[in-house]
Amino acid sequence: MFFKGKKNAEANKQVPLSRNLEKNTTHLKQLFSSELNKDFSTREITARYSNKRIKLFFYSSIVNSTKIHEGIIRPLLEAKGENLPSIITLEAIKELTDFDSIIDDINSGNVVLLLEDSKTAYSVNVADFKHRGIEKPENENAVKAPKEAFTESLNVNISLVRKRFHDKQLIAEAKPVGNRSKLDVTIMYVKDVVNNEILENVRERLDQLSVDNVRNIESLEQYIEERPYSIVSSLLYTERPDRAASYLEDGYIVLMMENSSACLVLPVTFWSFFHSEEDRYLRFLFGNFSRIIRLLAFLISLLVSGVYVAVTNYHSEMIPPDLLLAIVSARERVPFPVVFEVLLMEISFELIREAGLRIPNPLGPTIGIVGALIIGQAAVEANIVSPIVVIVVALSGLSSFAVANISMNFTIRITRFLFIFAASFFGMLSLTGAFLLWVMYLASLRSFGVPFLAPLSPSYKSTNDTVFRKIIKNEYFRPGQIKPKDLRKKG
Amino acid sequence: MRKRIWLLILFLVPLTGCYDQIEVEQQTYVIAIGIDKTDVEGKFRITFQAANPEVGSTISSGGSQEEPRETVTLVGNDLIATKDTANSVMTKQIALDHTKVVVVSEELARSGEFLRLIQAAARTTELRRSVQIIVSKENASDFLKNNQPLLETRPHKYYQYMLSRATETGIIPEADIHRFFQITEGDADAFLAIYATTQHAEEKIEGNEDQYIAGQIPIEGGNPTQFMGSAVFKEGKMIDVLSGQETRIANILDDTMEMEALYSTYPDPKNKKYRIAANFTKDRPIDVEIDYQKDQPTKINITVPFSIEVIGIPSLVDYSQNGENRSLLEAYIPKFAEEEANNLIKKTQEEYKTDVFYWSLYIRKYFSTIEEYEKADWNHNIYPNAEINVDFKLKQLYFGKMIDDSNIGEVRD
Repeated sequence: MFFKGKKNAEANKQVPLSRNLEKNTTHLKQLFSSELNKDFSTREITARYSNKRIKLFFYSSIVNSTKIHEGIIRPLLEAKGENLPSIITLEAIKELTDFDSIIDDINSGNVVLLLEDSKTAYSVNVADFKHRGIEKPENENAVKAPKEAFTESLNVNISLVRKRFHDKQLIAEAKPVGNRSKLDVTIMYVKDVVNNEILENVRERLDQLSVDNVRNIESLEQYIEERPYSIVSSLLYTERPDRAASYLEDGYIVLMMENSSACLVLPVTFWSFFHSEEDRYLRFLFGNFSRIIRLLAFLISLLVSGVYVAVTNYHSEMIPPDLLLAIVSARERVPFPVVFEVLLMEISFELIREAGLRIPNPLGPTIGIVGALIIGQAAVEANIVSPIVVIVVALSGLSSFAVANISMNFTIRITRFLFIFAASFFGMLSLTGAFLLWVMYLASLRSFGVPFLAPLSPSYKSTNDTVFRKIIKNEYFRPGQIKPKDLRKKG
Repeated sequence: MRKRIWLLILFLVPLTGCYDQIEVEQQTYVIAIGIDKTDVEGKFRITFQAANPEVGSTISSGGSQEEPRETVTLVGNDLIATKDTANSVMTKQIALDHTKVVVVSEELARSGEFLRLIQAAARTTELRRSVQIIVSKENASDFLKNNQPLLETRPHKYYQYMLSRATETGIIPEADIHRFFQITEGDADAFLAIYATTQHAEEKIEGNEDQYIAGQIPIEGGNPTQFMGSAVFKEGKMIDVLSGQETRIANILDDTMEMEALYSTYPDPKNKKYRIAANFTKDRPIDVEIDYQKDQPTKINITVPFSIEVIGIPSLVDYSQNGENRSLLEAYIPKFAEEEANNLIKKTQEEYKTDVFYWSLYIRKYFSTIEEYEKADWNHNIYPNAEINVDFKLKQLYFGKMIDDSNIGEVRD
């Protein structure tokens, strides 16, 4: 592979244009296999200003044909002028001298004009990639928040961010990625706030990527993360432009790519996953209330099944007698041990979840009915599980939905199974041990050099936006853990 | 190499086993334990009363015909070791984690053998220290068999409600095992256990509302079991029974007891035929002042702040509006209470030679070592010779919602 890449690069690189239009045309057509490629189009016209032949090359599927007609073909046929750039009415026009850049430009939706008796080609941007319009966020819902979400077009996405943050220092730096299909990764940051080390780190990681094709940020996330086996993600994936903008403002870095209706924020801490943007839009008390609920949901989702297993198997003295006798009477007819019962239900719940995600839309309601019937009623009536386990599992399942971020959601769901196993060995003792190890692991993590639990531990000068947030007027600092150049944001 | 280490660690997991692991339904939860004397010394008759989980649970439809409790009596040497013998009858492993009460027959309690057996409770992790000690007039096994609650048929609920409410009204003391060991091993004071019975005395006494001991209360209907009064344990041996009224006074004079308001009646100072009904509240801690001198009798001054809400004046004497009558009542109630308290204190000083109020707590600060304190000897020396002065301080006197009573003259004209 290494050799192949090298050979390709040598063959394509630095092949200059010749003065002969025919020779150039044949070469280009050969490069793009024009006899096979249906949408590779060529058009030849004689320009009025010079009376010389000009050839246009483009992919008809990714360009705006009206633009070509109005902005290139018509002026060439009708207008008089000194040279080509003064005739073309479109905004961006570039001079090219080698085939390598010609190929890149045609691939990214430009029209390339080859002139008779000229070693210079012109490239005009008329790209018109199709994409969805701006829609509402699908996964990060909010009541009191802007309703725009990113869409699968880089330009639209950058525009959505710039719309929210008017600052000349907001940079959208492009970095090409991929050897075969070159796509730009856009690094957005505020130049006089962002920490240079982190920025340099990101640039390095992007440069070091040696892969044929990175299609979108979902794959990019896995290419540039530090610990691919880790249970926790080290980049935040968000589809909300307002969220991206607020992170940019604080000195974080946002990565964007064509073809992704979301962006990546880095570096992250645990709190980025725990927070929702709506917390900041709600008033102090309301936002913090919703955070308490979410923290509760987080803990319930992680621990309730494990605690149930531990308590019923090892510490029956902890259960109030009424509840204990109720559990006993329900369990007397259940043939399985508690651990198995809980695992059975947890797995069924995961099944419903996975199936519900993959099921075609018209069949959607079926999964609800089947799932609810099987799990809610039939399993209990058939004495396969006890009703209390249904409550426990439903509670932990419901709570897991309150942890909205998909990465953290998976983290919690996998950890929950670990905790159930841990609880089944020595009860509370091993459950506590497992929880402790888990927290220690979180504390040991770093995302692009930033400790995962900062600014809680270790402590940094910041607004301490961890479990609770302050009144918005009292937020004086940017998060100190990412070491921004400008720490103070107010006062 | 790394793989091999991982494999080893993986094999370690099943080696750990789950030694303490037991499913909840594989256990029987004993709610009450009864202990009786046998003719042979060192052997006891032990009764286990276990709750049937299927009764009273809406989850399981079947099994509702079963009894709410299973009671088994057998002879054994030790409380905990007898559990296994009981398994010859009871189907599941017996768990004492949820035991609410230990019932001791009066015969065993008075013999002093009780302390030998209950020692195990301090050592085992199974029996909670919050288990209440009940002394039954009859055999504990009979008590547990005869106790057939009509409403709370599930035993744990019965004991929970019965004991918590009766303790709140002060007619029985709080008597958990922890307190028993604290007082018994402290070698001062006397411990009060709950006194109860299912046997009714032949002759009923006509007394006021709390001047009974269990078995004497003229009640019709309901469960035959009566909880009233307390058994006095001195040095682990039962010596006497206190009536409900005396137990209430003991509770008032002891700040370690949690007692709320209690309803009681006091003789009407203007018309001796009737009694005034009132709600007695001790909402502030009592003040115990001890003046300890080595060779002189110790002086103990107790101040009890309390408030009274008068709820019924059957004699219809105007105590609320008439200032003279009111001051009479204000002076009379504390005096009456002091008189009752002094009677009990005198009884404890002369008969028991120790107090039932846990007052030794207040004198400990005068000693720098335990040896010194033990040498001073609260039970034999300090308390019986102490000069005790009880002062009931009426802080507030209410007359309920209505100030005026009906004027009997106007009603019957």
